[in-house]
Amino acid sequence: MVRILKVVNRDRCIGCLSCMYACTRKLRGLGGTGKSAMRVRAYSGAEGAFSIRVCSRCVRPDCAAACPAGALTTVEGGGVRLDRDKCISCGACVKACTIAALQWDEEDGVPIPCIFCGQCVDFCPNGVIALVERTPSGEGE
Amino acid sequence: MQGRVLFTDLTSGKSRIEEDGGLFTELLGGTAVATELLARHGNSETDPLSPLAPVIFTIGPFSALYPVATKTVALFRSPLTGELGESHAGGRLAAALRETGIDALVITGASDRPVFLHIDGQEAKVRSAGTFWGQSAPATDRILREALEKKGRKLSIVRIGPAGERLSPMACATVDSSRHFGRLGLGAVMGSKKLKAIAVSGKGSVVIADSRAYGSVYQTIYDRVVRSGEMKKYHQLGTPANILPLNAIRGLPTRNFTQGFFENASRISGEAFLEEVNVQHIACAHCPCGCIQVAELREKFAPAHYSTVRVSYDYEPIFAVGTQLSISTPREILRLIAFIEKQGWDCMSMGNTLAWATEAFLSGAIGEAETEGLSLSFGDTRSYLEAMQRISSGNGEFFSDLEKGTAFCASKYGGKDFAMHYGGLEPAGYLTGENAVITWIAGVRHSHLDDNGYSLDQKLLMKDLPLEEQVRMQVEEAQWRMVLNSLVICLFARGVYDPQIIADGLKSLGMDWTPERLKQFGAETLKAKYRLKKSYAFDPRGITIPEKMFNVRTSTGFLDRERMARRLDLFMEYAGISREK
Repeated sequence: MVRILKVVNRDRCIGCLSCMYACTRKLRGLGGTGKSAMRVRAYSGAEGAFSIRVCSRCVRPDCAAACPAGALTTVEGGGVRLDRDKCISCGACVKACTIAALQWDEEDGVPIPCIFCGQCVDFCPNGVIALVERTPSGEGE
Repeated sequence: MQGRVLFTDLTSGKSRIEEDGGLFTELLGGTAVATELLARHGNSETDPLSPLAPVIFTIGPFSALYPVATKTVALFRSPLTGELGESHAGGRLAAALRETGIDALVITGASDRPVFLHIDGQEAKVRSAGTFWGQSAPATDRILREALEKKGRKLSIVRIGPAGERLSPMACATVDSSRHFGRLGLGAVMGSKKLKAIAVSGKGSVVIADSRAYGSVYQTIYDRVVRSGEMKKYHQLGTPANILPLNAIRGLPTRNFTQGFFENASRISGEAFLEEVNVQHIACAHCPCGCIQVAELREKFAPAHYSTVRVSYDYEPIFAVGTQLSISTPREILRLIAFIEKQGWDCMSMGNTLAWATEAFLSGAIGEAETEGLSLSFGDTRSYLEAMQRISSGNGEFFSDLEKGTAFCASKYGGKDFAMHYGGLEPAGYLTGENAVITWIAGVRHSHLDDNGYSLDQKLLMKDLPLEEQVRMQVEEAQWRMVLNSLVICLFARGVYDPQIIADGLKSLGMDWTPERLKQFGAETLKAKYRLKKSYAFDPRGITIPEKMFNVRTSTGFLDRERMARRLDLFMEYAGISREK
């Protein structure tokens, strides 16, 4: 069974960013949102409209294909893993992610691949994101 | 915290960062650190709008680390009262600042042309605001957000509207989605420096001393916020939940504090707003409660054509331009709030001042000569919109004066007896009794949130308490809130953050504080605050209670002069504020 993250109730987001704080805190033991593998941001000029992007767990990831150093490798079931020693901090991977789900660690100069642990889901007060099983068509349900 | 303080001198356009870790170790952060910084860098001899007058912003050790620690503290000298100006705002400012690694800003000087301060990580630049000086507060946010937003970064924007540019002493500074540094005129202070906005973006993480303990304390607090029911009121109706209960106890100020009952309260209650105009709740960064109520105001502007704007509402704006002006529909209240938001006035001050103007007009203290033919009546939304249009376009001396506040207008035009202000600041929406009035007089920022005055009044309806006991409880609460305001926690979460969980939270961050030490710190900080206030000639005995207040029935009966004097004496005695000038 392959679990993927899905934005199921975008319109219920209140923009509290508890998901991003949870990702940084639970996986890195750090405060802030700077190490979060997903993101929420306000659309500029549209009061109260939030854009939430989570990794699609692509089976043939554009980010890995764009990496000139072979630092991002595809994981079985989809998604990518980072070999930090190989990363040359060029940022081609995040540019290749059209949905802007792959986040960039500005402090370390590396991408932040999602591991689909679901901490962001657990700390969302409104059920905006869900961890679901991938269906054969590739979509979560 | 690193104790990094960013000093920006707008006269030269230069910035520098100094590290003062000791300051934050000793004083935590927030209000305590800001008080110390203003005492160091301010000068009580200078005019509030002098280039020398500093503006201080601080965050605290819990900022961006624990839920609902969302506030940033601003300190300055108030152009409205001439005394200490302190204001707190939410939005994303505290979170963004924490991620830049800068814990405090000290802004001095004045630019000779419009500028904005752009803080990007630890880089600070003073940049031209020439192209958007004159823009409304919401437009300024849109312009800067589009210009500065970077992928994945949190961006917070503090800005003034045209009211601040005109140096209206009731101008506020608006933060992100309709959060405000309101009340004491920060907008005018920024305007006097030609500082249109401050934009902050950072993306750093914060190293935690004991990340395991941190995770565990975090979980406890998160559960209390989201699951315990402690913040349910704010999570659901938000602050407008107060309309009906206050009306029921006759504590909802109506038509310039004439009575505590508004006959149409049920039409403009939190419940009515929710049903008729609310479209969404949103949150400050790192607040899973999300109390910000957003309404949609749809208006027909031509046949078959509508315009739609989103307007945030809260209890205090509903009181200020609703019950105070006798406006009985959510839509009309939203129209008034939307106008005020664009100009960047403090909504409470503007509502109270319009209420004074209406009573002055109706009682004959002023006439059509002053209003240049405009007839002011309670309940007349159109005349209030017209009045604000005239104020914002500088159309007529009387209207230009209205944005200087109730105290200024009453001293120039008369009607002092019903000029609702305490030391120059117009009050919040509570006609509950003597405790609330003591808060406005003696509170450090003369805000209803300085202590529990209005809530003590409500307790008295259930159970009598000796006067001494009431004042003691009030002072203890004022002292404790110094702790919360130093961390810096939104006071709506005051029930979540007890002394022990705060001590545990600090310990996980490598700071050793016991609950006892925290309480002691609160008492000391309150005293430090009054020392600073005294340097600005603060004297609670010099503050006159509007005569009208002795002639209206509050929730707990009539105010008594002798009792009020006794309360003030006790307040100062219990707070340890020396009686000498």
